[in-house]
Amino acid sequence: MSPAEAVGLALVVVGCGFYGAGTVGLLRFPDVYSRLHALTKADNQGLFFVVLGLGVLAGHWRVALLLIAIWLVGLVSAAVSAHLIARHARRSDRRHTSRTARP
Amino acid sequence: MSVGLLVDVMLGLALVGLSLRVVTGQSLFSDIVQFILFGLVVALSWSRLGAPDLALAEAAIGAGLTGALMLMAYRRLVQGGGEDAVRIGPRPLLALPVAALTGTLVAVIGLVALGVQRVAGAAGDRVLEALPGTGLGNPVTGVLLVYRGLDTLLELAVLLVALLGAWAVSGDAAPGRLHQVDRRTPLVGALLTSMAPLTILIATHLLLAGTDAPGGAFQAGAVLTGCGVLLVLTGTLRPTAAAGLVTRLLLVSGLAAFVLIGVGAVALGRPTMTMPGTWAIYLVETAIMVSIAVTMTLLFARSRGLAPERS
Repeated sequence: MSPAEAVGLALVVVGCGFYGAGTVGLLRFPDVYSRLHALTKADNQGLFFVVLGLGVLAGHWRVALLLIAIWLVGLVSAAVSAHLIARHARRSDRRHTSRTARP
Repeated sequence: MSVGLLVDVMLGLALVGLSLRVVTGQSLFSDIVQFILFGLVVALSWSRLGAPDLALAEAAIGAGLTGALMLMAYRRLVQGGGEDAVRIGPRPLLALPVAALTGTLVAVIGLVALGVQRVAGAAGDRVLEALPGTGLGNPVTGVLLVYRGLDTLLELAVLLVALLGAWAVSGDAAPGRLHQVDRRTPLVGALLTSMAPLTILIATHLLLAGTDAPGGAFQAGAVLTGCGVLLVLTGTLRPTAAAGLVTRLLLVSGLAAFVLIGVGAVALGRPTMTMPGTWAIYLVETAIMVSIAVTMTLLFARSRGLAPERS
């Protein structure tokens, strides 16, 4: 395994760790706001590391830049959807303490 | 066990598990969400099977657009009839035997397919041999537009009939006012100004890439519909009660371009539905993309037409 491959794989593994943490947060946190916090913060970071790792593994600038562009699009959509869900939750003033998903 | 096989087994288990949960769930909303998730896993499976064109189509149409349509239908159900309208009733008794029969059928087909010997000179091989003559590099686009053009034409006709059927069912009812997301909300405005042009760019790229690489009119049309859905949801496009001339022309442009070029080939002494050149393929694909996007956006908005909303 070349050093570049090792670095790329390590970055992907770190990214998966963030995803794991975000998922645990989603499942274990008590209300909608802290769940969103876990999802958006951890998953955006996780996606960044995964994308960075894949870029290193691809070994090509063009591919790496395209992957970064995908990350940026993911950031925008995650930020907007988290914002809209949080606002909806606050306006409907519903305590999302139950485990079941609700519209 | 190799990592690839492990991923495949996990995908297979996820497919079976998710499909079971979709049909046995207790809430319609979570069923829809899991159906979208199911579509994403199907897309991943297609890409693992080396079919990126299908993976793109499934992700964009199966998971994305169908999911958006279902969520919209769910919201209208709740708006119209409250929680009672989305309650899941008792399952029909026939469901289990039908499921068992279907499962057996799929299993038998799968077992037979595993034992099939590769035939030399099958249709797929001949397509790959003849492909350079069409000026295309992507065999999927070649099959869709050149070798099985009639099938694609009929698919477009089905899509148009689906929209006409939806119009007939919804009657003359005024297009429902949606509870819209205010586009003056800073983040929503930012999403609109950054994503709407980006979807058009991506759709154009998919369309052009479709000649030589995975992509094509259907995927591009689905992505363009994403733009339409965004514009409808933010109130930038307002549903109207009547379809204008431009809307009607755009709706039939895919069918019209396909038929005109396909039948025009006869006048030039070629077989029906032959493409006279790469320019014709680009033309037909562009028209198909626009038709699909307009049709699907109108289905989503449940309206005859759309007009820009001045603020």
